Amino acid sequence: MPPEHSGPVLIAEGLTKRYGRRQALTDCDLQVPQGRVIGLVGPNGAGKSTLLQLACGLIAPTSGRLRVLGSRPAANAAHLAKVGYVAQDTPVYPMLTVADHLRMGARLNPAWDPSLANRRIAQLGLNPRQHAGRLSGGQRAQLALTMAAAKRPELLIFDEPAAALDPLARIGFLRHLMESVTELGASAVLSSHLLADVERVCDYLIVLCDSRVQVAGDVRDLLSTHYRLVAPRGALDRLPGGVEVIRIEHTDRQSSAVVRTDGPPPGPPWTASALPLEELVLGYMTRAAEGATGSAAAVMGEVLR
Amino acid sequence: MTWMTWRQFRVQAVVGAAALVAMAIYLVILGTQIRHGYDADLVGCHHRAGGCGSLTAEFVDRYRARLQILGALLVVVPGILGMFWGAPLIARELETGTHRLAWNQSVTRRRWLAVKLLFVGLASMATAGLFSLLLTWAASPYDLVAGDRFTALQFGARNIAPVAYAAFAFVLGATVGLTVRRTVPAMALTAVVFAVVQVAMPVLVRPHLIAPVSDSKEVTAETVRNLSFLGSEADIGGLRISDAWVVSTSKLLNSDGQPVELDRYRACITGVFDAIADCMGNLDLQVRVAYQPGERYWDFQWLESAIFLVAAVALAGFGLWRIQGRLP
Repeated sequence: MPPEHSGPVLIAEGLTKRYGRRQALTDCDLQVPQGRVIGLVGPNGAGKSTLLQLACGLIAPTSGRLRVLGSRPAANAAHLAKVGYVAQDTPVYPMLTVADHLRMGARLNPAWDPSLANRRIAQLGLNPRQHAGRLSGGQRAQLALTMAAAKRPELLIFDEPAAALDPLARIGFLRHLMESVTELGASAVLSSHLLADVERVCDYLIVLCDSRVQVAGDVRDLLSTHYRLVAPRGALDRLPGGVEVIRIEHTDRQSSAVVRTDGPPPGPPWTASALPLEELVLGYMTRAAEGATGSAAAVMGEVLR
Repeated sequence: MTWMTWRQFRVQAVVGAAALVAMAIYLVILGTQIRHGYDADLVGCHHRAGGCGSLTAEFVDRYRARLQILGALLVVVPGILGMFWGAPLIARELETGTHRLAWNQSVTRRRWLAVKLLFVGLASMATAGLFSLLLTWAASPYDLVAGDRFTALQFGARNIAPVAYAAFAFVLGATVGLTVRRTVPAMALTAVVFAVVQVAMPVLVRPHLIAPVSDSKEVTAETVRNLSFLGSEADIGGLRISDAWVVSTSKLLNSDGQPVELDRYRACITGVFDAIADCMGNLDLQVRVAYQPGERYWDFQWLESAIFLVAAVALAGFGLWRIQGRLP
């Protein structure tokens, strides 16, 4: 079933969410393309959950605009049917059995796919008569994922679904997730503070730190526009134009920088090399963390140099 | 959504139904006993030697305590329903995070709440209604004889008023749960608010729902014997008018309508009670009394029920507005 909606699955303009005085999400602009598996990474407390809860309509923004599949999140029952959401800690009803959960899904979702749901439950080896409160963390996450997938949404949203799982359960969960996304032909957004999970399954990346979007883009594009540059100390001033320094580190003799450039990497005295995704993300996270600790730290950095 | 509501409510419903069945069996037995007692002792009593007076008093005494306890229980039942059916309805979902699962099914959360409120709310009303129906039936010979329909415990535990109390208490619990978002505090708050309302209503509001009738009443020796209080300033308490609700009484007045001269009044307040009554009977006193006549009973039942139902609907409207206000 091809998705009905064409164009970006998610558009945010100046999206801001405040809780009292705490800024959970600040002035966030995003355009997330369709048909992708989008990884949302950032440290704990960066605003990942806030962004995803806004996207599924669980909370409302303080200001700014958000469109998911072309309309306001959770605008009506038809729109709710198009978005599947698996919340953090994958809540289920402990007193209801696995079969009850599937029956609930069937009753509450017009596009419910019983064969998909039953097939998944059988594959996972879950006993339909078991109470959901007695499932292991991994099984519970799988049940929540099955419920979100069997309503056949166009967009699946996962908020740290694998965070509490052991490595084996996590890999099983991510495989199930990818199978579901492929089978549904859906787009998916997956948040995690574990970059390895995101790297395994995502082809589009959003780095969120300190309540702001640091960088967003296709993983291949990101990798082809970011480099690590190494040069003797003092070569810093001689960087060509069009090269943005994300983060720079100095040892006694050398400087090492994470940079972004749309053109070819700079030549000697700089030595350019490809950047693993993890270092790229860490570069942005570190920059955000240093920015957050205030300009005093930046001044100190200048002095020490 | 109805299925889901029923599935989540099932255990509470079974517990409630079991309690109701036990209560129904007891009330049917009690009602049958009361009818037997009435038929045996009071039907045709004025043909017997000694008349009806002592037989009536004995009949009323025999059942008073039991019916008062049952009445008190029925006044409390809506509060219990509000605490155990209303307060956890939404608070438990918010507390355990399952609302994040429920609200992402293809059902808007307004509809989710509306179905829950309607379904469990009707169950609450049916529970209180059935209890009230059985108690009203069981106690009807007693109520006929006792002529005391406006007392707080009898008015609020007969006919339709308990149904409206149940609707109000349930929606109150659900709305408090939605606002407080934690089950146990919501239960406690529901109990407190409902108790305050149930005390304030008969004391402060109910007497003034309809303007009472004012009348003068002659104070005979017989009247004085039936009073419960005689104050030193010629103030009285416990004046009763058959099948009417006395809202307030003036001080004792002389035949001109002026307050009785305290010397004359106090001169009577000596010695045994019978002598006091006879002495005061000779003073030619009267009292101004404001009361609600018995024929207004159903006006009061409907009026009070309407007030509680409107309050329940208003609270439900607040809940439906509030749930759209995005709780994290």
